[in-house]
Amino acid sequence: MKKDILKEAEYWYNFDRDIFYNRKAKKAFSLEYVDDKPEEELVRRIGESTDSARWTFYFNSPPSESVKQILEQVLG
Amino acid sequence: MPERTNKERPIVNRLREEYFDLLPEIRRVVWQLETEIRYLTLPILHSLKRHEQLVVKSRIKECESAVNTLRDQQEGRTFDPDKPGGYSLLDLPDLAGVRILVFPNNKLVEVDNALHNRFLGWTSKPVKDDKEAVLAPKYYGYCEDVSSKVRGEYQIVPMLIGLFWDVEHSAMYKSRGAANSVEMKKYRADVYSALARFEEGIENFERIYTELFS
Repeated sequence: MKKDILKEAEYWYNFDRDIFYNRKAKKAFSLEYVDDKPEEELVRRIGESTDSARWTFYFNSPPSESVKQILEQVLG
Repeated sequence: MPERTNKERPIVNRLREEYFDLLPEIRRVVWQLETEIRYLTLPILHSLKRHEQLVVKSRIKECESAVNTLRDQQEGRTFDPDKPGGYSLLDLPDLAGVRILVFPNNKLVEVDNALHNRFLGWTSKPVKDDKEAVLAPKYYGYCEDVSSKVRGEYQIVPMLIGLFWDVEHSAMYKSRGAANSVEMKKYRADVYSALARFEEGIENFERIYTELFS
């Protein structure tokens, strides 16, 4: 199950923003993305390497720069 | 209250301002809609048997609830300050809402038919369960006599489900994630199924009782 995959990879759920996030990996998945994508893609995205200086957001519709900044502020 | 950042605050403040500008119009829509629905369902109300019920309830969506509903529709539940055209509460179809609760379920079609002609041009968007079965017919549109901006919405709901929703909504509104989890979907399906069985039981009992004593 997707929830177990995220839990296993130490992702937390932000109830206010409906996103799964991992501060160490600096990755965040929207609830819509998790719902819509197959488990294989989720596993691939969790494992892929990213620019660790900034957060990477996995959304169905890519968030604007302003939305990214807001979420980065919220996620810390 | 959701945590809001400085960038979102101006958007939220604008939406609150819009809400209070619209409030007199929302009130007029809900009064009109409730009055028309009460009038059109009056013959059904007067013909109810002792155990049957029909209750018409209206509500105006509260300011914070309206803002949060609009916010819930954004992925990541975040208002985008760069969105062209900004946001408007007029995108919500349910600022003025009427719920008609019926018991037992067989009254639902009767009420739906009684309202059909009056609200012919309204958009149908029934409430469905997780298996896409219709739980409650729902419609939204304009009461043109009173507003061309604010839409009204009415839904006809089996009473037991409607009362369950009152409790469920209060408990689950903070988290769509929890509400949509596999576990909660199963519990919800169990409740719907139990309520449906109860209604069937009542209807069967009523039928047998009527046949025995008629």
